[in-house]
Amino acid sequence: MPSTEREAWQARLSREIAAAWAIARKDMRIYYLKPNIIVSGLLFPLFMFLAFAIGKNAPPGSLIPGLVAITLLFSASSIEPVSIPIERRVKTFDRLLAAPISFHALVFGESLSGFLYSLGIACLPLAIGVLFFGTPVKFALVLAIAMALTAFCCATLGTLFAAYPTENVGEVMSLLNTVRLPLIFISGVFIPLSEMPVIGRQIALFSPLTYGNDMIVYACNGTSQFSPLLDAAMLVVFTLIFQFVADRLYKKFNQ
Amino acid sequence: MQAIEVSHLTKRFGALTALNDISFSVGEGETFGFLGPNGAGKTTTIRILTGITGPTSGTASIFGHDIVRDTVAARQSMGIVSETSNVYDDLTAWQNMMFAAELYHVGRAEREKKAEELLKTFELTNRKDDSVHGFSKGMKRRLTLAMGLVNSPRLIFLDEPTSGLDVQSNLIIRDVITDLVGEGVTVFLTTHNIEEANVLCDRVAIINKGTVAAIDAPEKLKRTIQSVQSIEISFDRAVPETLADLRQLGGVNDAQKEGDKFRLYTADPSVVIDAVMDYARARGLRVISITTLGPSLEDVFIRLTGLKRTGGGVHAID
Repeated sequence: MPSTEREAWQARLSREIAAAWAIARKDMRIYYLKPNIIVSGLLFPLFMFLAFAIGKNAPPGSLIPGLVAITLLFSASSIEPVSIPIERRVKTFDRLLAAPISFHALVFGESLSGFLYSLGIACLPLAIGVLFFGTPVKFALVLAIAMALTAFCCATLGTLFAAYPTENVGEVMSLLNTVRLPLIFISGVFIPLSEMPVIGRQIALFSPLTYGNDMIVYACNGTSQFSPLLDAAMLVVFTLIFQFVADRLYKKFNQ
Repeated sequence: MQAIEVSHLTKRFGALTALNDISFSVGEGETFGFLGPNGAGKTTTIRILTGITGPTSGTASIFGHDIVRDTVAARQSMGIVSETSNVYDDLTAWQNMMFAAELYHVGRAEREKKAEELLKTFELTNRKDDSVHGFSKGMKRRLTLAMGLVNSPRLIFLDEPTSGLDVQSNLIIRDVITDLVGEGVTVFLTTHNIEEANVLCDRVAIINKGTVAAIDAPEKLKRTIQSVQSIEISFDRAVPETLADLRQLGGVNDAQKEGDKFRLYTADPSVVIDAVMDYARARGLRVISITTLGPSLEDVFIRLTGLKRTGGGVHAID
């Protein structure tokens, strides 16, 4: 038995992390290859990107950072809006709600699976860009950090929306897409922030994808609108806000 | 220390009061039945006691841990088998067991040993690496129970554990419950099978419309309604109008046909026995067997919940 408060806290943290990892592994086994997740997380951003990129007078390699950013957004936020309503329907979600873990661990574990999924998926367009279209990577470590922070932030966004108390995947997806789709237009992915009107630039400040995309572009080209440190800090802030709101919503909706 | 302590628990959903100021306690090692008609508040009570939902007012504690303020500690010592077989169909039986154990932070060696034992007990060892997709309803139910026991709980909540199961699964699950009781595990059982509660439980609570109507040992509850005694009788042949005729006999409050037998409810069995024998002689029927029965737990349940027997079934009268 832990003898001090600090040891008790460490033991509790270790249990919470282990349970979160168990939840993430369970999701990986069950949901990663589900057709609706592949469509929503991989094909949807790809076709969305092609629709805007084709005909644009820019070398394909320069468009890859944007494709990586929207792939991270869509793939990271696609797992939980599918898995959680399904688990509510078949009552396996009750198993998680009744487990000796906090809502923080539940939300973190759910987000972790989306995070890992999107990192894997987003490496595909990045590898294609680097290998076939000459996409530069000036700062590999910054790119890794940018992708990880963006992925976790977007995964937490997906977990937040999945708190909506429904057993219908379509309802959560519709709700999520009303936020996800506008995000890709206001975050400098298709239209650089510098070319946006003032109001657009102001709205862009409230999108986590703005900072994720900016940091990825910086890691590839060495140019950006904001400092990479500010981008990273903003992604962390958005993640914490999403985690906090998600904790509250899961708690509220289970009352 | 009590395993479960519930004090003035109330739960409202908008205008609906699902639980209305209920209080009870369950001692360590006790097998406690929680009976009530559909919508009486049984599942709401379990959801509050397991911390899935919170009460509107009142308190509940598990081994001294308040379920609202100290949820994680309270849950650590409990196992939960919900009414639905909530297993992961895409995982194998083994993966389901491992996942359940990991949620309760059971160490690797211990969880593997426990899972092996439980799968053997529930006769699932030869299917442990199969996806649960292909399992029968009974096998999924057994796996659900095994998952609820993988953390060696001191208290287990069993919500309708044998409802709608095949005989084999039913027998296995009842044997396991009996073994758990022998090991000193506290069992909180909800069931529609009143005979199951009668056989398994030390005490039962009967809940109706969100209020506890009675709590006591099954035999003590039966003694409270001695006026509901019955006579079970079978004749050598069936005559279509027999049931209607028996209902008209003096002293008979109600009559039911149960297979090849008739059950006559009465407050005075001796009067009814005389009347039945007279009836049999008059109709040329031979009595094959006749038994006097005290009130059953089902009779207590019906009396306390305001249900009514009609035509061999039990129906709500409100």
